[in-house]
Amino acid sequence: MRLPVWRRNQDRELDEEIASHIRLAIADRVERGETAEEASHAARLEFGNVVIVKEVTREMWGWIALEHLAKDVRYACRALRKAPGFAAVAVATFALGIGANTAMFSVINAVMLRPLPFPEPKRLVSVTEVDQRRGDAGSSSVAWPNFFEWRSRSKAFEQMSAYHERAFTMVVGGRPVHTPGAIVSADLFATLGVQPVLGRGFRSEEERAGSDVVVISDGLWRSEFGAAASAVGSVTTINSRPFTIVGVMPGGFRFPFGVPAAQMWVTCAEDARTDEPGDTPMTAERGAHFISVVGRLRRGTTLPAAQVDLDAVAAALAREYPDDNGNRGVKLTPQLESLVGDTRRPLVVLLAAVGCVLLIACVNLANLLLVRGAVRGKEIALRVALGASRRRIVTQLLTECVVLSAFGTAAGLLLASWSIRFVVQVSPANLRGLDEVTIDRFVLAFTAAVGFASALAFGTLPAWLESRAEPRAGLDESGRATAGRRHGRMRATLVVSEMALGVVLLIGAGLLLRSFHRLAHSDPGFDGSHVVTAKFTLPDNRYPYRKQIAFYDELLADLNALPGVQASAASPLPLSGLRYSISFQLPGAKVPASEQPSAAFGMVGPGYFRALQIPIVAGRDFTAADDDAATRVVVVNESFAHRYLAGRDPIGQRIKPGLSTTEKETPWREVVGVVRDVRHLALNEPARPTYFVPYAQGLISSLFIVIRSATPTTVVVDQVRRAVLRKDPELALYDARTMDEYLTLSVAPARFQTMLLTLFAALALVLTAVGLYGVVAYGVAQRTREFGIRLALGARPREVLHLVLRNAMRLAGAGIAAGIVAAAFATRLLGSALYEIRPLDPLTFAAVAATLVAVALAASFVPAHRATRVDPIQALRTD
Amino acid sequence: MPVPRYRTRIELLQGTLDLLILQTLQWGPRHGYGISQAIRTVSADVLQVDTGSLYPALHRLERQKWIRAEWTVSGRNQRTRVYELTAAGRKQLLAERSRWEQVSAAIGSILAHPGAVE
Repeated sequence: MRLPVWRRNQDRELDEEIASHIRLAIADRVERGETAEEASHAARLEFGNVVIVKEVTREMWGWIALEHLAKDVRYACRALRKAPGFAAVAVATFALGIGANTAMFSVINAVMLRPLPFPEPKRLVSVTEVDQRRGDAGSSSVAWPNFFEWRSRSKAFEQMSAYHERAFTMVVGGRPVHTPGAIVSADLFATLGVQPVLGRGFRSEEERAGSDVVVISDGLWRSEFGAAASAVGSVTTINSRPFTIVGVMPGGFRFPFGVPAAQMWVTCAEDARTDEPGDTPMTAERGAHFISVVGRLRRGTTLPAAQVDLDAVAAALAREYPDDNGNRGVKLTPQLESLVGDTRRPLVVLLAAVGCVLLIACVNLANLLLVRGAVRGKEIALRVALGASRRRIVTQLLTECVVLSAFGTAAGLLLASWSIRFVVQVSPANLRGLDEVTIDRFVLAFTAAVGFASALAFGTLPAWLESRAEPRAGLDESGRATAGRRHGRMRATLVVSEMALGVVLLIGAGLLLRSFHRLAHSDPGFDGSHVVTAKFTLPDNRYPYRKQIAFYDELLADLNALPGVQASAASPLPLSGLRYSISFQLPGAKVPASEQPSAAFGMVGPGYFRALQIPIVAGRDFTAADDDAATRVVVVNESFAHRYLAGRDPIGQRIKPGLSTTEKETPWREVVGVVRDVRHLALNEPARPTYFVPYAQGLISSLFIVIRSATPTTVVVDQVRRAVLRKDPELALYDARTMDEYLTLSVAPARFQTMLLTLFAALALVLTAVGLYGVVAYGVAQRTREFGIRLALGARPREVLHLVLRNAMRLAGAGIAAGIVAAAFATRLLGSALYEIRPLDPLTFAAVAATLVAVALAASFVPAHRATRVDPIQALRTD
Repeated sequence: MPVPRYRTRIELLQGTLDLLILQTLQWGPRHGYGISQAIRTVSADVLQVDTGSLYPALHRLERQKWIRAEWTVSGRNQRTRVYELTAAGRKQLLAERSRWEQVSAAIGSILAHPGAVE
């Protein structure tokens, strides 16, 4: 016997111990007067067989269990090799279940579980404002002045910093490059705990207007600056202004986590600038809530303690600025959790679904093992008769399951590593961490644990049942039927529960499919086909307010002159993810600023509604005549008219939005038109009250160019690019997309969930069908003799066929019924994921039931047909 | 050459050997050979412990932490493995002793019963 290395020492000691025993015995005998030769001979004789003594002693060393295990594993491998069909089906079933689980879990691991790539990520928290009138639902972005107050007054944070994403146009080598970036407070890098690899981070005095410094990403440094150390300290043109590059972040640094990733960071000096002396900069606007805040808790400070600390600051601010901060609270969330946000629920539902698939696979395997156990009853009965203990037999049968599961798990991992790419491809692009989905050690541990637990789950029951095999019953003449019949009911129960699980998954998938179909075919309120959009940023030092409007006016005129083109401009676009909200005043009693209603807001050019085919239901569209010199006008949507102007003819009513651009004071605006509602944020969210102003009377951000044209997209984008560059060669066109792409993007999360759940349900259906087939086929095989007798006695094949099918359908019926009851509860989990479909949609339930009946019939028809072909003579002769 | 006494040798009941070893070690630390000699001498050659039982038992008791082994160098400058009782071993010895006394009392009363049980 070869000993493992760690036993060799112990073995040598045993040798020495035995040698000393014999030596002592010899010495004793010599003392008693024997000759050395006699003594040596007698002592050895008395000691007995050294090899055997050693062997039995070694058994006490505790590795005997291991030795048994190795024996069991070898035995299991041999048994599986002898039943290659069984082994292949079992391993494949298991691999499917494990593979799906591993793939899904690796996504969840990357998105929800893996810590953020910063030092001590648990201390990072996200801070948002909360509209206390609306509770948790009212959580919103932060206004710069509030952030500054929090930062200086709170004591719970080591650092706190703010950021918001913003794209810039950087001129590199004379070429304008559209560069996604972020405007951040000076201490962002310190808060995250990451410092530039080259140069330095921002200094606090660089938050003041006029300090134009920039930190660039490793990627940008390599692609645009040739990875030259001299890049730091050099001056580059950003939005037509000279900026000094002060630092380069390490490769792999990513923050914020938006898509596309930020490539450059500038300080909030950018927001502290004003175009005209006397204007209020964004950093001082108490009503402009658009930044995000991340803080690093002091070591030892808990989240609730920090919450209490900031609550006090917010309460103080509410007293000091009742108009703006009257109902504003703060809310702290662990940073990772806030990034996961709404994606948690769909991912958890999918994990549950994939868990069900594994459960079905386990039930299938348990069934397979029961069938196999019935066949092997004789072998086991023999071993029991020969004195094997029940525990020993159970251990050995379980070892077989574990060996099966080990092969299945390995194959599953392989499947998962292939399918992860697919899962990532169909998942919505804005899921953070998706680009880092890998099978890491944590996933491996999860898979191993699940594989092992499943082996025990599907193996315990059959092993226990088999070990109870009566030695005598098993050894009866044929050794065939007895064990099998006893397990028949167990197999039936298993197959029923398996079908029930399959029904639940199929109903879930069916509901999502129907919901997705409705969503994809829902009316967004506009017609986006043949509409192309694109964006560029006008640097405001070269384009003061009026020049920006003029630029858009002229560009639209140029574009509209092209044949077959309807061009306009607007911001925000529906389904683009952007939303502006501005409070307004209605005529009548004056309400305090903090109590004013707020509605969605849009800036649009003339012809925008026509370009998107949004019908004007009353009044008129904006025209070129609605310019800065004309009466201030506004167009509202139906929801707005219904909510705020109800009972009156909306046309001619007046509202006063808190939107001032060139006026000294915000002007009253006259409603000149009502347009139909548009689903702005998402297809499954009802339209909100919205008002529109002509961009010529209130431009506050860059506009999207919107073009309806029959010409192919690429040609249109080219036309726009040329038109823009002709007017200003330093501008970079970006976000060129069709409206259809925005539509597709907006349903991407729903499609992700639907696709995967459908896939899992299909997997479940196949496994269930295989399971039912197995049970029916085994039942038929067992009753071969009975069918033979029936046929011999004159039963018609049809009758035998019906007999088998009836039994199979009884099982299927029970499974479907149980599944429907379970689904009635389980589908509530889908809840908000369903669009215009009730969780108890009768059509889906009926369709799934019908599908399963059909599949069950198909799965049992083959064995049933075989039953009719039994040759009576042959059947009676068996054994 | 002494006459083999195999005929008088008694197969020890499972567990009884443990009791004998523990009891022997109560008189002081001993090596394997010493233990077998002690059992043999004290039982007046009636009980002879087979090495194929002794060494597995010693190693098992050691694993159960009832005895502890140590290499010592004897007077003749030879290494021997000496076993001694641990605290847990003393407790175990007490438990086994009382069990043994119960069993032997029970067996004794059965043997002493005058009437045949039919």
